[in-house]
Amino acid sequence: MKNIILSSVAVAVLVFSGCSSKEPSVDGSATQATDSSNAMSGSESMESRIAGLEKKLSSIYFDFDKFNIRSDMQSALTTDASVVKTEASDLTVKLEGNCDEWGSDEYNFALGLKRATTVKDALIASGVDASKVTMVSNGEGNPVCSDKTKDCWSKNRRVDFKLLP
Amino acid sequence: MKIFFMWLLALSITFAADATIDVIKKVDTLPSLAVEDASVKYDNAFKMQFYKMLVADLNVLSIFNVDGSYRNVDFDASNVVVENKDMQYVLRYKMFEGDAGSFNVELKLFKANGVVLTKSYKANKNDFYMFISHAMAYDVNEYMGEPSVEWMKKKVIFSKNTTPKKTEIVVSDYTLTYQHTIIAGGFNIFPKWANQEQTSFYFTSLDSKKPTLKQLDIKTGQTKVLMSSDGMMICSDVSADSTKLLVTMAPSGQPDVYLYNTNTKKSSKITNYSGIDVGGQFLDDNTVVFVSNRLGYPNVFSQKINSGAVEQMIFYGKSNSACSVNGEYIVYKARESSDSFSGNTFNLHLISTKTDFIRRLTATGVNEFPRFSKDGDAILFIKNYMSQSSIGIIRLNHDKNYLFPLKSGKIQSMDW
Repeated sequence: MKNIILSSVAVAVLVFSGCSSKEPSVDGSATQATDSSNAMSGSESMESRIAGLEKKLSSIYFDFDKFNIRSDMQSALTTDASVVKTEASDLTVKLEGNCDEWGSDEYNFALGLKRATTVKDALIASGVDASKVTMVSNGEGNPVCSDKTKDCWSKNRRVDFKLLP
Repeated sequence: MKIFFMWLLALSITFAADATIDVIKKVDTLPSLAVEDASVKYDNAFKMQFYKMLVADLNVLSIFNVDGSYRNVDFDASNVVVENKDMQYVLRYKMFEGDAGSFNVELKLFKANGVVLTKSYKANKNDFYMFISHAMAYDVNEYMGEPSVEWMKKKVIFSKNTTPKKTEIVVSDYTLTYQHTIIAGGFNIFPKWANQEQTSFYFTSLDSKKPTLKQLDIKTGQTKVLMSSDGMMICSDVSADSTKLLVTMAPSGQPDVYLYNTNTKKSSKITNYSGIDVGGQFLDDNTVVFVSNRLGYPNVFSQKINSGAVEQMIFYGKSNSACSVNGEYIVYKARESSDSFSGNTFNLHLISTKTDFIRRLTATGVNEFPRFSKDGDAILFIKNYMSQSSIGIIRLNHDKNYLFPLKSGKIQSMDW
């Protein structure tokens, strides 16, 4: 019995020491943040409002191995920034960078992140509060098209807008 | 004349130790080996399954010309079957069921009709037959006095994309024959063994608000959170003593390489560049190798951990976006064709940091995620070709490549 209790304590110490680090680059609140978003997801009105707003936000597409905003994407980005600043101003924007299937290594993930960073910078330049924007790279893990064509690959090189309460 | 032979000898010794030199036509000089099955228990389908696994393992050893003809024989017969009488080596084995359904194998290795090696193996059940096969090949290799193939007994961990934002993390043997899904259902990527014993692993979870680095203990099944970062959070390498990690983080949107101490739980930034720095690998205790686009395209660089001086490591290729390091050798992935979407896009190359030699290791398909074995004897990599995802293994000193296809899904990343 004593051994069981000691084991439990040892496990608890491990878990809590992993969650409460105060290192600046470490975000110990990640778990809590997830919990609170789950709690909010119970609100159907919020969910439907977010779904409606996300439909107004267009994905931004990129060229192969590039993370600069194309000239043909400027108009969509301006509209996105407008929606984020007005109708979605009380929500957090999660920018999800995505890549085509050419490479699953870290560099490809970084490319997805740089795309999200470029969009974030453009949003900030348009007056969006930087603290309301988070970013993640999905690499090649969230394709919208799986055909082996150039047109399909171009649809996967994009940044999506997700809204969080 | 004597001087000429001395020079020739010196030349052969110098180049024999360099893995960047291609080995050509060595196959003609390899000794022949045949395999004889003496099993009575188990059905024919399983017998053939085990036989094929063993022949594949012996082929991967790359030290024999393995005869692929299936032969039956009595285990205690003093001579090899007549068809194998001219073989230099004959491996005979017998599978049988032991206590509580255990799977047992006995091995005899014949040379010139005399037994030179005997071994016994046991597993809980015959589902683990591939590990017995790997162990048998390992022992034969040891008997032959070849450099160790310890990697053959190591487990491979990989994540595979199943559907958008869904992955599975799977533990397998090096041939993907055995597969056990450890985590299913979430968006979990970049698994990395946490120690040499392979009892726990790190992985990145993208299911939270921010990318989060977690560690899962395989024995207890418990997961703990290490840290999270906006943008990216990937464990790229683990030090030999398991106390230090190289991680890629991007707290402000700029991916850089950080050093994380598992004892103090503190991290410190190593690289500092406004573009992309990712994929840190320990070259030695004080030096890391990483991929950066600081020249305008992805390439491999090195940096002392406590110094800002950066050195370019690769001078060939215009898009070298992944690498693995072992001693003086670096294997890296390069995009070779100017057409971004041609059929021959990404290949693996090997360089030595002490010479100028470059050796191309693959020729077709998308070859990526190179990973040296701990002893540097072999390189494991992912190959995607014609909609098929495979794990490949390159025997550097034997100039041979072997592929083991994945039945479904696409491999995202793996560690060995």
